[in-house]
Amino acid sequence: MTIQWPRLAALLLGLCLIGCGPSGLRPERGISSALQRSSDSRRWPSMGNRWLASIASRNGRERVELVDLRNGQPVPLPGINQADAQPISVSVSADGNRIALVRSRDGRTELMLYRRGVGLLQRLPVEPAGVPREVSLDGSGRLLAVQVSRQGRWDVDLIRLP
Amino acid sequence: MAGCSGRTQRAPGSLLAEQQQEPALSGDGSKLAVIVDQRGRPTVQLKDLRGGGRLQLRHLNGQQPHSSPSLSWNGRYLAVIIQRGNRRLVLIEDRLNGRAHPLRLPSGRYPVRLSLAPDGRQLAVQTADRGRWQVELLDLSGLLEPDRRGGLRRSNPAEPQP
Repeated sequence: MTIQWPRLAALLLGLCLIGCGPSGLRPERGISSALQRSSDSRRWPSMGNRWLASIASRNGRERVELVDLRNGQPVPLPGINQADAQPISVSVSADGNRIALVRSRDGRTELMLYRRGVGLLQRLPVEPAGVPREVSLDGSGRLLAVQVSRQGRWDVDLIRLP
Repeated sequence: MAGCSGRTQRAPGSLLAEQQQEPALSGDGSKLAVIVDQRGRPTVQLKDLRGGGRLQLRHLNGQQPHSSPSLSWNGRYLAVIIQRGNRRLVLIEDRLNGRAHPLRLPSGRYPVRLSLAPDGRQLAVQTADRGRWQVELLDLSGLLEPDRRGGLRRSNPAEPQP
C-alpha cells in the first residue's frame, strides 16, 4: 500500500484546524453563540456540572440566569430576580439546585441563597456585620465562601448551610 | 421571603493582618483559593480547609497580578488569570502531575473572569467584546483528565496526591 503523504498531511492539518484550538482547547461555539445572542451583555460566569449561572443584561436590566448546558436553554428561576434588586455576584452548586448571590436592593447589599427545587429565595445574615461582595458555593451547595468588607478590610467568611 | 441562618466561621488567615479576596471553593469543600496582597502583588493562595495550612502552587510565581481563581472538585486543577508580559492569560495548574497549561483564548480576547466546571472538563470565561461583557465556553476534555467526586485518578502513581 502506498502512503500518500501530501493527502495525509492535509487531512491531519484539516482535522487539527477543525477540531482543536491551541493546547487541546476547543471552543464550544454553539453554546457560546447562543449565550451571546440571548443577552446584550453577560458577566460573572459560575459553572456547575452541565450548568452555567451568570448575570445577563437585557434592555438595561441585569438578571441572574441559569443555563442548562445540555440544550443551551435557560431554566426558570421564579422569584430570584426582583425588579428593585441589582445582582452583583453569583455562584451555583454542582447540580444547579442552589444559587448563592450578592445583590443590591434599597441601598443595601444582601447575601442571598436560592433553592431551585422549592423556588425559595432566602437572605443569609452576615455575622459579624459586613458588606458582602463575592460568593463561592462548594459542589454540594452546603458550604459558602463570602468575601466581606469589614471596617475597611476584606475578609473571607465560610458559612455552613443547612 | 424567609430568613435562613448558617454557621459562620472565618477562613484560615482572616484573623491575621492579611486581607483575602475572590474566594473559590473546591467542589468537595476541602480547599479554598483566595487572592492576597503579597508585597503589593495580588497573588493566589490555596488553603487546605480540613488539614489547615497552605498548599504549594508551583507555576504562578512572577506572573502576578493573579485574579479570578477557580478550583475543580478535589482541587486537582486550579484555574487562574495571570499576567505574562503585557498579556492576560488563563493558566491551569494540575496539582497532581505538576503540569501547567497556559491557555490563550481561541477568540483572541482577554480573560476577565473564570469558572472551571467541577469535573474540570469545561471552562467558562468572561471576556470583553466591543464594549460588552460576554461569556465564552471552552471544552477542556482534550486537555485535562476529569477530576470527579469520589477520588482522584493518578496520572503518575509515583507522585503524591494533592
